Amino acid sequence: MYIFIQQVINGLTIGSIFALIALGYTMVYGTMKFINFAHGDLVALSAFVGLTIYTTVVSSFSNSIIAILISLIITIVIISIIGYLLERIAYRPLRKAPRLSAVVSALGAGMVFQNAIMLIWGPNPHYYPADIIPNKIWHFGDSVISLIQILILLLSFFIMIGLYILVNKTRTGRAIRAAAINQDAARLMGINVDAIIVIIFALGSTLGAVGGMFLGMFYRGITFNMGWNYGISAFVAAIIGGIGNIPGAMLGGIFLGLFNSLIAGYISSTWADAFTYILLILILIFKPTGILGERVAEKV
Amino acid sequence: MKKKITGSLMLLMVLALIIPIGLNAKVVKIGVQAPITGKYANEGQGIDQAVRLIVEQKNAQGGLLGNKIEVISEDDEGTAVKAAFAAKNLINKKVMAVIGSYTSTCAAAPQKMYYKAGVLQTSDGTSDALTKHAYWTFFRNSNPNSAEAIFTANHFINQRHYKKVAILSDYSSFAVGLGDAVKKEIEKLGGDVVYYGKIKAGNQNFTPILTKIKSLHPDVIYFSGYYSDGGLLRSQQVQLDIKADFYGGDANDNVDFVKLAGSAASGSYLINVPTPSLLPYDDAKKFLADYEKKYGMKIPSIWTILNVDGLRAIMYAAEQTNSLDTKVIADFLHNMKKPFPGFTGPLSWDKKGERIGSSYFAYEIQPDNSYKVISK
Repeated sequence: MYIFIQQVINGLTIGSIFALIALGYTMVYGTMKFINFAHGDLVALSAFVGLTIYTTVVSSFSNSIIAILISLIITIVIISIIGYLLERIAYRPLRKAPRLSAVVSALGAGMVFQNAIMLIWGPNPHYYPADIIPNKIWHFGDSVISLIQILILLLSFFIMIGLYILVNKTRTGRAIRAAAINQDAARLMGINVDAIIVIIFALGSTLGAVGGMFLGMFYRGITFNMGWNYGISAFVAAIIGGIGNIPGAMLGGIFLGLFNSLIAGYISSTWADAFTYILLILILIFKPTGILGERVAEKV
Repeated sequence: MKKKITGSLMLLMVLALIIPIGLNAKVVKIGVQAPITGKYANEGQGIDQAVRLIVEQKNAQGGLLGNKIEVISEDDEGTAVKAAFAAKNLINKKVMAVIGSYTSTCAAAPQKMYYKAGVLQTSDGTSDALTKHAYWTFFRNSNPNSAEAIFTANHFINQRHYKKVAILSDYSSFAVGLGDAVKKEIEKLGGDVVYYGKIKAGNQNFTPILTKIKSLHPDVIYFSGYYSDGGLLRSQQVQLDIKADFYGGDANDNVDFVKLAGSAASGSYLINVPTPSLLPYDDAKKFLADYEKKYGMKIPSIWTILNVDGLRAIMYAAEQTNSLDTKVIADFLHNMKKPFPGFTGPLSWDKKGERIGSSYFAYEIQPDNSYKVISK
């Protein structure tokens, strides 16, 4: 039994990181109807930016947790600006073009990010210092949970709650939802759709930045090409949950993390990826809108 | 570099014209075939410099059987094509023996050419295939991958008395080969391999497979892949509180292993040929100091010293047999009664040119990230 609980903890941790990244894909798809393939590489970029800021500021703080929070905030600001620039330079000029052009532009932007990371930080892996989060673990029964896992779970949970409230309970949120349903109608209602799209990119980049820094803190080693790997997993999570649907991306991420963990733990770790994609194919065949995808159907 | 070589060659030619021939001292030519430029330049230059230092020291003592030794270096850039060209040049220049190359690929490519020309070759390449043809000209100065497996199994079962072993590898041919061999050797010695699985290199999330291993309660987890995954495996093992020893194969011996594993690195173990600074022999320590004094840098790796040992054994054989005939030297090296005391331990060879006896060490990583030798 403790093995099962342990696998669930493992799955929830990686799943909540998937969920954070998946939200970036789903929010952009929700309003603009195209897949922002550069998002994964933006996540990788934030892991590098976060590390650089952390190593610069760490000496001025006595506590590494405060230093990491400060660097998280600075990274979020920088990555949001880059996310805004990405939209402004690579996507806005293509707003009226066929969707395919935007997707190609996204793939190109992803390559620009990846190569920029390689040119700035070099092709060798970089490492988050080992002592950022103290290596503490708690036992309950024979299962264990570490401090970093608790931090990732809690922070992701609060961020997602915050996002849910923002989208569903505020004026901006209502504008985001309106723009998602019909951009022209939203414009007629006096909503500044361009501003909403900027907000969406900034929000998506923020979540990606948090996800990227979590990856660095949890796994320590970061490489310039790590974005693709996590990007594709998060993209699958967004589809499983129902792309375009915000709670769907959260659910999809956590579901994918758990599914991966349990398959790897109980069937075969080497087959975990294959099973993930089999699941994806099955979902696309039998419930193409994903787990929570009702709204997508009415938008198409 | 090329200019330098042509320059020094021209200088040699001029010298050859000026110096009267009647001195009847022959020149023995030793070739270095190494990746002096390219990806492995650091290792290749190390081999070249170390060979030149040994030869300089030997010449100062009167040379080999009274003959002056001359070193000719050829750059193979770490590619098989360039290796063939380099070998052709060395054979044309009538070298007696070739030291190199650093990679198995570049050692294997010209192997047959050296064999046909009767030129001795000694290389540190670890691929098992290098001794497949049993060319009489070839002498491996390192140990092949299979020797590491034998050392590992013996260390686990007979020295550490582990009962249950979990083995992990990735999908690379190197790691699978080593993992398979370790499993086979452990079972030969009566050990119980409770788990043998593969991870996808670069996956980063190994908690599911480690949790599964935890449920099998092994005494030791052995990983045959590379440091980039090994460090993470160790760190996640500690995070999951799995109370088993962690052993990494030779590809885990890298400073980045410690960076990835973080504080978890302390208390984990590595198995590899010794790092230069850990060599226990006095003459080895003296050579390291001489190298550092002459070139103002440390020897790049143990591979440099293994190659130098190959050269020293060949010179030793020439002196023992009082002959410069490569066939005679090879026969002597194949049938040594008592091994030659090398910098990296005793050297002797079987009929296939395989170095007998292993030079592997097992290390425990200390809290200050230094290595402590626990078995050799």
